[in-house]
Amino acid sequence: MQYQAAPTTESWITPTTPYYYNYNYMPLPHNKHYSIVVNNDPLEKVAKLVSQSAVVIFSLSSCCMCHAVKSLFSGMGVNPTVYELDEEPVRGKEIEKALVRLMGSSMSVPVVFIGGKLVGSMDRVMGSHINGTLVPLLKKAGALWL
Amino acid sequence: MASHRVGETGLSDSGPSHHHHHHQHMPYSVLPAYNPPNTGFINQESSSFNFGELEEAIVLQGYKINNDENKLPLYTTVPRPAATLDMFPSWPIRVHQTPRGSNSSTDSGSAVNVAIASKPEAHCHTEPESPISSNSRKTLSEQQLQQQQQHQEIFRQQLQHLQIPEQLEMESEGGSPVTTGGSSHSQQTPKPFSEKRKGIGSTSERTLDAKTLRRLAQNREAARKSRLRKKAYVQQLESSRIRLTQLEQDLQRARSQGLFMCGGAGGGNLSPSAAMFDMEYARWLNEDQRHMAELRKGLQSHLSDSDLRVIVDSFVAHYDEIFRLKSVVAKSDVFHLFTGMWATPAERCFLWMGGFRPSELIKMLAIQLDPLTEQQVVGIYSLQQSSQQTEEALTQGLDQLHQSLVDTIASGSVNDGVHHMAVAVGKLTNLEGFVHQADNLRRMTLHRLHRILTVRQAAKCFLVISEYYGRLRALSNLWASRPREAVMSDENSCQTTTDLQMVQSSQIQFSNFG
Repeated sequence: MQYQAAPTTESWITPTTPYYYNYNYMPLPHNKHYSIVVNNDPLEKVAKLVSQSAVVIFSLSSCCMCHAVKSLFSGMGVNPTVYELDEEPVRGKEIEKALVRLMGSSMSVPVVFIGGKLVGSMDRVMGSHINGTLVPLLKKAGALWL
Repeated sequence: MASHRVGETGLSDSGPSHHHHHHQHMPYSVLPAYNPPNTGFINQESSSFNFGELEEAIVLQGYKINNDENKLPLYTTVPRPAATLDMFPSWPIRVHQTPRGSNSSTDSGSAVNVAIASKPEAHCHTEPESPISSNSRKTLSEQQLQQQQQHQEIFRQQLQHLQIPEQLEMESEGGSPVTTGGSSHSQQTPKPFSEKRKGIGSTSERTLDAKTLRRLAQNREAARKSRLRKKAYVQQLESSRIRLTQLEQDLQRARSQGLFMCGGAGGGNLSPSAAMFDMEYARWLNEDQRHMAELRKGLQSHLSDSDLRVIVDSFVAHYDEIFRLKSVVAKSDVFHLFTGMWATPAERCFLWMGGFRPSELIKMLAIQLDPLTEQQVVGIYSLQQSSQQTEEALTQGLDQLHQSLVDTIASGSVNDGVHHMAVAVGKLTNLEGFVHQADNLRRMTLHRLHRILTVRQAAKCFLVISEYYGRLRALSNLWASRPREAVMSDENSCQTTTDLQMVQSSQIQFSNFG
């Protein structure tokens, strides 16, 4: 069965972004594969969200490590899509919990997805950057040109 | 008494010569506890001199004493008349001036006086020793006897006034002394003793009258008390000595654990985990030296690559170790790590997030590791760039933390103060995350370097790194020990030469980077 996305969630997904981060929305070609949305499962929600942007960061507005991650990407010239989980009253908590389960650590944020795939938290991002694997990944996801 | 007066007149007749003798003997009255060396029986005694027993022995056994009065001081001073006053009752003095047996009790008395003088304890000094039974001193001349009697009188008079005058006029004493018997109920101790000398002269050799017995008993008592006092004092000394050694041990232990000083920082504020980290860091520095030496030796001896690889790998593990230690201490005492209290002041000055700045290190290394392939150059350059970006990101994250902390602390109202402080404390826990990420960055940078470079280059690279930080630490020490001019503001040239000399003469061996 195919479910349409409910209008409430649709508004949340709006790419014109929330807050003081003017991150542009970068459409991904494979985005169109994900048409099934199950509203109950937050992980599915997450999957849907991350598929829609090249770089997706789940963060909390009060978390300063999230700020560091955001600065890192913007310093590289990448414009990630940021979802502030504390700003979304309904689904935020669930997604946060889902992320905790996903990551296996107590820190739910920041979590970075590049090209729909989970990269990880700050240390993973940093590690891949130092290793020199981050930039190719970003380029492949279309988040970086040159 | 009549005899005494006779004696006096006799003395007064032989004035000048007697004066002379008298002056010879004068000083002992002013001597404090003089210990005459030439009395035989004194030397035989041990330090715990028991006068009571001595007296008895002398009385009972008829001890013969050499008659060396001319050399012996006759009198001792009265060290503490008050103390000894307690021990001796007042005696009515009856003076018996019998030159009987011409073994004057004075001689023996004087000898024993001397004996008593030899003992350092004050309260026993002036014990009247004198029931020395008259041992025959047939050798005494009448004049000597008279002299000694005169001396006794002088002494008694001195004691009577509780003074020890510098000079005594023999003639002036003419009238007083013999009658001291009656006047001296407030007895000063040597009085009874001097009196007793005469008294002994009056007793027969083997008779012990009641007075003598009582005196002996008192002497015994005094001697016993003084022995007990001495034992108590010695025990007290021993126990405090033991306590002192224990305290010293505790202090040593505490100092090694809690007061480890890095660069002269105040040692008292260290938390136990910080102190432990400091100790482990010191050990790590020693290990560092060892690894450096091994690397240097390996490079110079042109080991095979595989052998060198082992050494380099151990070096990398060595650095991993310090990062692990830092992560441990970050959990308990993040401020210690962050403010760099474990590092030398020079390092602390250029500290970034509790350690070195990786991009700076790579910049320094790029110059030192000159023969690099194109690919390596590209790799190192990109590594430098990525580490720089990450450093920037972390710094910005820290800035945001700082900002939010400032807001929290500043905005706490009166009512809400506690809550705001709790929130601030919660925010501070993020600090550990930043230090953790910074150390991660450092570790990963080193690993990446290890992978980019060949084994030989990597060996050289790590050697350079260790040498560099060693020099930075040495710079701290040099700076701390430089001569600080207090007054010479106009002698700047002097100052520079002093600096140069100091640097040249320092023991720090800087090896070449290569």
